[in-house]
Amino acid sequence: MSFRQAFKMAVKSIVGKKMRSFLTMLGIIIGVAAVVIMVSVIQGQNQQWMKYILSQGTNRLSVEAYSWNGTNISDELSKYCMGLGDLVEGITPSSLQINQTVNIKYGSKVFSTDNWDDWTKRITVELGSEQYGLCNNYTIAEGRDMSHLEIEKANNVCVLGGGAAEMIFDFVNPIGKTITLNSTPFQVVGVYEKKGVDGWPEWDNIILIPYTFNRSMNGNQPIQSYTIKAVDAEASTRASTLIQGFLKGLIPEDNGWYNVQNSNQSIDNVNEQNLMQSLVVGCIAGVSLLVGGIGIMNIMLVTVTERTREIGIRKAIGAERKSIIIQFLIEACMLCGLGGIIGIFFGYLGTLIAGKFMLQMILYPTMSITIGAFAFSVVLGVVFGIYPAIKASGLQPVVALRAD
Amino acid sequence: MLIDVKSLYKIYNEGQESEVRALDGVSLGIDRGEFVAIIGQSGSGKSTLMNILGCLDIPTYGDYHLDGVDVTERTDTQLAHIRNKQIGFIFQGYNLIPALNVWENVELPLLYQGVLGSKRRDLVEHALERVNLLDRAKHKPTEMSGGQQQRAAIARAIATRPPIIMADEPTGALDSRTGKHVLEILHGLHDEGSTVILITHDNGIAATAERVVRLSDGRIIYDGSREGAFT
Repeated sequence: MSFRQAFKMAVKSIVGKKMRSFLTMLGIIIGVAAVVIMVSVIQGQNQQWMKYILSQGTNRLSVEAYSWNGTNISDELSKYCMGLGDLVEGITPSSLQINQTVNIKYGSKVFSTDNWDDWTKRITVELGSEQYGLCNNYTIAEGRDMSHLEIEKANNVCVLGGGAAEMIFDFVNPIGKTITLNSTPFQVVGVYEKKGVDGWPEWDNIILIPYTFNRSMNGNQPIQSYTIKAVDAEASTRASTLIQGFLKGLIPEDNGWYNVQNSNQSIDNVNEQNLMQSLVVGCIAGVSLLVGGIGIMNIMLVTVTERTREIGIRKAIGAERKSIIIQFLIEACMLCGLGGIIGIFFGYLGTLIAGKFMLQMILYPTMSITIGAFAFSVVLGVVFGIYPAIKASGLQPVVALRAD
Repeated sequence: MLIDVKSLYKIYNEGQESEVRALDGVSLGIDRGEFVAIIGQSGSGKSTLMNILGCLDIPTYGDYHLDGVDVTERTDTQLAHIRNKQIGFIFQGYNLIPALNVWENVELPLLYQGVLGSKRRDLVEHALERVNLLDRAKHKPTEMSGGQQQRAAIARAIATRPPIIMADEPTGALDSRTGKHVLEILHGLHDEGSTVILITHDNGIAATAERVVRLSDGRIIYDGSREGAFT
């Protein structure tokens, strides 16, 4: 019997028993869909984290340091870091905001930093150095960054995040315009390009003013967080060690606290986490696929007497053992392949839906997980599906015919 | 001699307390073109004999030459070829494959033989015409009466035009009228030159055969013309 005829025979057998075929496929469909969705969502989530981390730039050090004995850490640290010239590109205070409600006015428009109705439209006023943009991976879209001199002299200048610029100025060019922050006028010298990271609109809704306003507007609240940009990965590691050593000497043990975190470490963490979670979830989903496979075996065992009889008939009218095994092999492959394809379809659908509602992003399963789940399902189905056929085809025809 | 069997034994659970001798030293010769009825009570070993003659089962001991070929020495694949080319089976329970329609069931032995395209179609058509079932070719077995199913099974048995037809209680599940019709077809095949071996427990049916072999407890107790078989 030719392969084409064996193929046709398998099709007839599948179409001839629709319910059994459907039940057999069901396990595979659910298993494949589960694997695809679960692993894809984990990967999507980690992708999002990665995007979040990368959008802030690589080779950054986050430093937290404070002391209770009045040491001016800010100036000392800045000086020290700038002394590490070939390692460090810039330093800025971070997470430093005006500690009161700020009313932002431009012409007749008023925005409040206290807008709690729509957090995606809330503007924050950040205090930073001229290297704020560099350290936080902002690029200038229009105008320029603040200058060192402007920071030193606490000039009334500001740079707007892309989102804030759109909100305050619509389509008017903001450069050179003046806005007031609680009645203090600030001239806009630059606008940052929008980062546009899903889930993080606040990054674009900033107004950056010189950190030297900390004295006048914040009552000289102590600066505790800094972001430092190193020139490359190796430099970030070295700078991290050096800065830790420096802070250890600067801050007495009982009188303060410091911590230096390398953003590259976070990237490694996310990668590692991604691998771990994918493995764990993949295993869980793999178990569900295995259960699906056992479902197939169940169906196969339930129908095995019926099939044994069929094999007996086929042998009685002259089928070789080989032809029977080939037919059942093709049948199992087709059933599981078809189930796998339907499972992938539902997996894509489920991933899109889960991505939309859980992660607010358009998420597709990766090729490797799709192919992996498909291959696994086919192998499983073939193994479970063909075993009874191999057994039955070895029987004497009369024994197989007697099964009922 | 087409079928030549010497000292055939089929013993289950040999040497144990539960030993059963389904065939207990059967020797039989059947010539080309004969119409032989094998009769006996149930449990007499007639079905076992036919299964072995039809290469569906293997004897425990004994010689079996089919058309001069020693069947007991053949491999599984060679036996499949013998069943496919030499023998057409008709079973009491029809044994059609329920997922396939009549045409596909009849086509099956030809597929296994590797007969191609239009030649295969002609053979299937001819076989179905022979049993007057061409108009039911697209029906599933479950959609037909017992007599129609048995005619479909006959069509499948004769599709490859085998020299030997073996029928195991072919009328057992049918009413007397359809049973008679099936018997007529078998006689027709015999008239066309086929060797027919018919197993039955019905003396009336056996009486239509030229030669009757009666089995009892796995042994032949009568082998001769029908005239002497029922006295």
